[in-house]
Amino acid sequence: MAGSLNWIDYAVLVVYLVGTMLIGFRLSRNITTGRDLFLAGKTLPWWAVGFSLVATDIGGTDIIGVGGAAYVHGLAVGNFEWIGCVPAMIIAAFVFIPLFWRAGVYTIPEFLERRYNASVRSALAICWFVFMACNLGIMLFASARMLNVLFGWDPIFAILLTAILVGIYTYSGGLAAVVYTDVLQCIIMIGGCLLVLVLGLNDVGGISGLVEKIRAVEAAQRPAGAAVPEMLEHTRLILPVDTASPFPWTGILFGLGLILGPAYWIGNQAIVQRALGARSEFEAKASYVWGALLKNIIPLIVAVPGLIALAKFPDLAKGDDAVPTLVARMLPMGLRGLFLAAFMAALMSSVDSYLNSAATLLTNDLYKRFLRPNSTDEHILRIGRIVTVVLIVWGIFFALLLGRIESSGIYAIFQTLMAFFQGPALAVLIAGILWRRATGAGALVGFIGGVGCTVTLFTLNHQAIYSRIGWQPLFKIAEPFLYFSIWGFLVALLLVIAVSLLTRPEPEEKIAGLVYRWREKKAA
Amino acid sequence: MSPLHQIGEAIRELLLKIPLSAARGLFLLFLAGLLVWVLTLPRSETSPAGSEPGKVRLSEKLKFWAAVSLVLQILIYLLL
Repeated sequence: MAGSLNWIDYAVLVVYLVGTMLIGFRLSRNITTGRDLFLAGKTLPWWAVGFSLVATDIGGTDIIGVGGAAYVHGLAVGNFEWIGCVPAMIIAAFVFIPLFWRAGVYTIPEFLERRYNASVRSALAICWFVFMACNLGIMLFASARMLNVLFGWDPIFAILLTAILVGIYTYSGGLAAVVYTDVLQCIIMIGGCLLVLVLGLNDVGGISGLVEKIRAVEAAQRPAGAAVPEMLEHTRLILPVDTASPFPWTGILFGLGLILGPAYWIGNQAIVQRALGARSEFEAKASYVWGALLKNIIPLIVAVPGLIALAKFPDLAKGDDAVPTLVARMLPMGLRGLFLAAFMAALMSSVDSYLNSAATLLTNDLYKRFLRPNSTDEHILRIGRIVTVVLIVWGIFFALLLGRIESSGIYAIFQTLMAFFQGPALAVLIAGILWRRATGAGALVGFIGGVGCTVTLFTLNHQAIYSRIGWQPLFKIAEPFLYFSIWGFLVALLLVIAVSLLTRPEPEEKIAGLVYRWREKKAA
Repeated sequence: MSPLHQIGEAIRELLLKIPLSAARGLFLLFLAGLLVWVLTLPRSETSPAGSEPGKVRLSEKLKFWAAVSLVLQILIYLLL
């Protein structure tokens, strides 16, 4: 596909980029305080936040990677957008988001200090900040590599173009620019992927044609004498415990649906921050419900193209070639530019969110909290903008560094790192909001113990370690990060409960308004 | 075999005995339970503050839209 773009394709891309920058510049006029930069002055409407939630969640690498995973493992990868998102977003909308919004906080760690103490806030803020700062570089690097493979772009040019454009509008317009550009980016992303889906389905003879072709591919790939399954392997959402893929139903339901999904939609600062900027509590809730509705269609437009590629090109060397091959062979000139714009939109909508949220964490939870507690909102605006610039420079540096060491597994490693602390962080958050008796000491011990548990499991499951001590691997599936999160969550929750019961309860006046009131809800 | 392996193997053997149809039932039970919870939420939690009953626009009925989302999920996990 490299080099297969013409001037019409590039014109489409330029129109998209110019539109994005215009939105960013238009919104920069309203930024006069730190609250404007980080919470958009609490003026965001529900529909914009809802689009932004979805756009932030789908990165550039997901557009290619999810289709690639569907090509290899089937539609089970769609679980990440369905059971991994929709239930968590609905629960967040009615239980967690209203409490965060009403508390008037900038960040989740700030909420945790009010509920528990400064140690819990610092531990969570540092974990999230380090992850987000590194993830900036990883997203830029992984996407630049894809742009190189897909369109022949020089990786350094791709990194600099993305980082500078995103940096400019995030610096000037803050969260408002991030959210409103996300709206445009989400529409372009959905439009571009929908185009591939519709043209692809048309090409393989509709849904029935797709099913027949996949049936033929599976029959050709099945070993001689093997039983014919009742359902097509590639269209199943629920896979057995002993599946060769990383998506057994146990990991999907317990690890993804009950832990990683809620941890992401309730505890990820880059996600929750836009809802904190909603103009009312009702609009914050509505944004999550709207996002959940949109999420229902996402696997259709990002995973099903992988199945179409399987039907048309069953002999590709690797899954990540699936969507690019489909686009190169099926889309005419001009429409490829729309797909490129969709890819860039997905990339930029994630990078801008992580940039703004990392800046919020560093400015609010570390600088303001520990160095300058009495600083004015105008001073915080200046610091926030300086931090944004420093972070974008860091992101470029880290992306270039990753390019030099050529570590192909770095993206997977950082996803695993996120699984290390997301389960324990969710346990601390859930206990704090749903259980009045949870204490600061319990939360800190639970978080540290939960992270310790996941790191231990990861270490013992690493080939270099288990072969050295003469063990078998602890988990039998590839990339068992879903299982790490289950155990991390359970250990953290048990420790929070045990230590909380052994320590003095938090005063009622301290936790008022920060805990979900079960009895009042029932009475209402 | 370490104690960790024995615990893991016991859990794995137990889970392997659960047929996929029952696993699908667990997914549906989770989603249906959530749907019931959403439907029982008080009106004050799912419509704009201060709005009068009967005068809330369809676009503002969060209970309705959350239920639509969950019903779509139930259909997806029923069929695929």
